Amino acid sequence: MNQPETRTTGPGLLVLHALRCTGATGPDRLRLVTGLDAFDVESELIDLGAAGLVTRTAGPMPGWWLTDAGRAADAERITDELESAAARAAVTAAYERFLVLNPELLDLCRAWQLRTVDGVVSANNHRDAAYDARVLDRFADLDRRAATVCAELSAALPRFGRYRARFAGALERAGSGALEYVTDSTASYHTIWAELHEDLLATLGIPR
Amino acid sequence: MRWIRTISAGTQEGAEELGGKARGLVLLHRLGLRVPAAFVVTTGACRAFRQERHLPAGLAAELATAITSLERSTGRTFGGSRKPLAVSVRSGARASMPGMMNTILNLGLTTGATTALTAETGDRPFALDSRLRFLSSFAAAVTDADMNAVKAAPGGDPPPGTERGQAHLTDAARAIEALVRERCGRPVPDDANRQLEWAVEAVFSSWDTPRARTYRTLNDIPHDLGTAVIVQTMAFGNRDGHSGTGVAFSRDPNTGENVPYGDVLFGHQGEDVVGGRTTTRPLRELAEREPAVWRELLDALGRIERHHRDACYVEFTYQSGELWFLQTRPGRFTGGAAVRAATELADEHVISRQEALLRISPQHLQHVRTPRIASSGEADILARGIGACPGVAAGAVATTADQAVRMARDTPVILVRPETSPGDMHGLAAAAGIVTARGGPASHAAVVARALSKPAVVGLTGLTVDTHGGSITVGGRSAGAGTLVTIDGTSGEVALGTPRVVTDAADHHLHRLLGWADDITGDHGERDESRRLEAARAALRRR
Repeated sequence: MNQPETRTTGPGLLVLHALRCTGATGPDRLRLVTGLDAFDVESELIDLGAAGLVTRTAGPMPGWWLTDAGRAADAERITDELESAAARAAVTAAYERFLVLNPELLDLCRAWQLRTVDGVVSANNHRDAAYDARVLDRFADLDRRAATVCAELSAALPRFGRYRARFAGALERAGSGALEYVTDSTASYHTIWAELHEDLLATLGIPR
Repeated sequence: MRWIRTISAGTQEGAEELGGKARGLVLLHRLGLRVPAAFVVTTGACRAFRQERHLPAGLAAELATAITSLERSTGRTFGGSRKPLAVSVRSGARASMPGMMNTILNLGLTTGATTALTAETGDRPFALDSRLRFLSSFAAAVTDADMNAVKAAPGGDPPPGTERGQAHLTDAARAIEALVRERCGRPVPDDANRQLEWAVEAVFSSWDTPRARTYRTLNDIPHDLGTAVIVQTMAFGNRDGHSGTGVAFSRDPNTGENVPYGDVLFGHQGEDVVGGRTTTRPLRELAEREPAVWRELLDALGRIERHHRDACYVEFTYQSGELWFLQTRPGRFTGGAAVRAATELADEHVISRQEALLRISPQHLQHVRTPRIASSGEADILARGIGACPGVAAGAVATTADQAVRMARDTPVILVRPETSPGDMHGLAAAAGIVTARGGPASHAAVVARALSKPAVVGLTGLTVDTHGGSITVGGRSAGAGTLVTIDGTSGEVALGTPRVVTDAADHHLHRLLGWADDITGDHGERDESRRLEAARAALRRR
């Protein structure tokens, strides 16, 4: 009888898929997203570049970018990984639970950025520590529920385990005063959340 | 009855027990306006539901009795095989919680009642479309699923008038029914009273979703209030060529100017409806298409405004030329619009100058000089969505992130996308402004735009983005990549070209208001504007 294999994703696919989920990205961020070290990221990028799957871009966010061939290769390999791990049902179920949390997360991001005072919606100037603490408290509450979804995902496919660490890191930094880790930086909770959303769509082959 | 009140001019209890929406309906009755027959299940029933975890004893029987009286007043039968009665089921707490809870439309359209509706109207597409609206809103309320994904036909919905269109409506209905059976372990009841009980239960349950609890925590709304449920006879805005639905403000909420403002969705647009997509039109188009409805609407806005002594907002439907009011509340203007409306209401002797001052908190002054497109009148407005990040940006249309990055080397760019994802980040970073067809003020695009402090308009209903051809289409007009557009992240307007941009639209009114403030304090010296206002307000509050 064939047992589904629970394999760890190889570094080549990790880098390829990270570019699929994050868009144009530099090596430093790829390191954070994949959990690989700088040397591995660099050498995988060279190999993927030689295979015509990734290319370097200029512009306001210079970095690496998937070619059309890279996008197609990622779709094929990531589907293959899903099917050979017999993980489609588990990932689909987790995705549905993710979708329930998604509007609440976006509400929280909005509440972090905007605040209604005297009936007027204004940018949150972050001078009211009590308000910010209240929003972060709700983030922590949502994060506990998101952790369950992440655990289901990483049980099905270990590469999803990286999100847990990144979410926790973002909230910890935000809690210790680095406010940009909520919505405003490329390592913010919101950014990681959007990448997980994209990852789930890409993994399940669901078009936007 | 213990848990239910009929909504009429004589309904006594307050918003605590009936919710804000039901009180709005009572007001409409008192002003002599036409309101579809309705009753409200009290917040007390919701509180009992929360304690007992099921509908309180006696509520099912009361619902049946209340429905019987709706049948009597409308001459229709709930779930009936002749002249069927359909109702909407809406939440309505004391405090408004926009988007948090459910609305179910066309409830009571069982398979039999849908057949009866076809027979009555001779319009099968209308009946099928109405049944589908019921099923999708019902399923959204009793499951967590995303209904748009279930309903949508690949490549866009075919027109409902065609055979293919009707087959699509039927298939989509079946898919939704299957989804409810799978998620809930029971089918959508084909008995109208059972549908209603389940719907009321779903609205009560929606009060305690984690998302609703989070919203209340952030907005200081107590968790133990509970929500009321309004059950109201449907008016069909999709009934025929003389039907439609819309929202209207008595004054322009963007500027405060004393002109009616809003959107209307015309019912059957026949061949105009390309691919089943519908687009709202500016309210003033109602004046030409339905002059009698328009006159009645203006009269109603005047009556409601005189009651509130403030700008007001209504939701309406007109069915076969007959106008019905579904909801009202005060206008809740902000920034320059609030300043202008309050000042002009004082000039019109509707309120006193003191009251005008008390209505404008210094919070409003923060937004008075946000750059804005000068006025809808002189600009060529392509479409209007939801402003997600205030400010004005002008640039050339780009329809993909890559294109935005390329074009941004030479010229400012407005990135226009169906919605955004992390793959668009480099385009969002390169663009001067952002427009999306889908999503609300908390969408990915909106959150990123605010993080980057770039003007953004989201939720531009009816906008299609052709990324291959590199063009955008909305309201029957197209613009290719490179077309110069200007967006206003406050009003949500997208204009062609570069209309005039102003920061002083409300200066004249603000100047006068602050003059009245100085008259109160007796201090006409040079001071910060918000201090002048705050000093006068403090003096007035001490009186």
